[in-house]
Amino acid sequence: MSKFVDACAKEWKRLGVPESASNEMAADLAADLAEAEAEGVSPEEVLGNGVFDPKSFAASWAIARGFARRIPRGFGTTRRPRWTVALSAAASVLALLLGLLILVGTGVQRSAVVQIVQRSVKALGRGRIFITPHRVILPGPPFIGPGGRVFIAPPPPFHLLGWILLLVGLIGIGVTLWLWKPWSTRRRDTGTDGNVCLPSYL
Amino acid sequence: MLSVMCEGPAYGYEMTKRLGAMGLSIVGEGSIYPLLGRLEREGLVDTHRAASDGGPPRKYYRLSRLGKKALAGGISEWQATRDAVDAVLGLSIAEVTS
Repeated sequence: MSKFVDACAKEWKRLGVPESASNEMAADLAADLAEAEAEGVSPEEVLGNGVFDPKSFAASWAIARGFARRIPRGFGTTRRPRWTVALSAAASVLALLLGLLILVGTGVQRSAVVQIVQRSVKALGRGRIFITPHRVILPGPPFIGPGGRVFIAPPPPFHLLGWILLLVGLIGIGVTLWLWKPWSTRRRDTGTDGNVCLPSYL
Repeated sequence: MLSVMCEGPAYGYEMTKRLGAMGLSIVGEGSIYPLLGRLEREGLVDTHRAASDGGPPRKYYRLSRLGKKALAGGISEWQATRDAVDAVLGLSIAEVTS
């Protein structure tokens, strides 16, 4: 059972239990287990279910003695404010709709959408990306052609903007679902009052 | 656990044995160590380290003054609960046997 005691000691160290207390608990545990073994008593009879999970056993003991804090409900998940999820969802749906409008909408709709996107990008201070409502201008690097003339790579078709928005929308929906997930999952209350190895009536 | 300590100071495994001798196998559901830790933290037990019979020094637990008060309160609560349950069962028994 020294492996069990060692595993407990490691967990206490990880939890920041003072070394003196950790050594004391480890010594008591080792002595009790040795005595039980000498009497032909199994470790399960001494430690109960804790014998199968040294980390939980060590943690519950440390928590009970006040050396570690109780694991907060929702441990392992990061709670995000509701407005973050709502904002992410709205932005994703908007991008998705704008992308769809560009790809399958009429000429007027495309024009309006591209203008909206153009203004938004300008507002963000990104400079001029679009020069016409129907074409996405992602300026390529200029190159010098024959006779010293400077050429600029032709802009890609406006459909690219539609696909980009569509992709952004889909990724955004994925991110929204990921953000929302912690809200949808509730940890079950085990009724153990923070002591993993203890029944609730104790 | 507090009641078990009334018999005299005991270390962890010794208390497990006392409980087992009384027919209480709570250890099967959970270890007593975290419980002893909680009692110690709440000041319901006093501890001291002493040599055990032929073994290494052990941590002995005994009732503190606060622990004695808590035990007295617990006994009263338990007796009240038991009396209430007995009263209900008494009615049931009368109903079943009649």
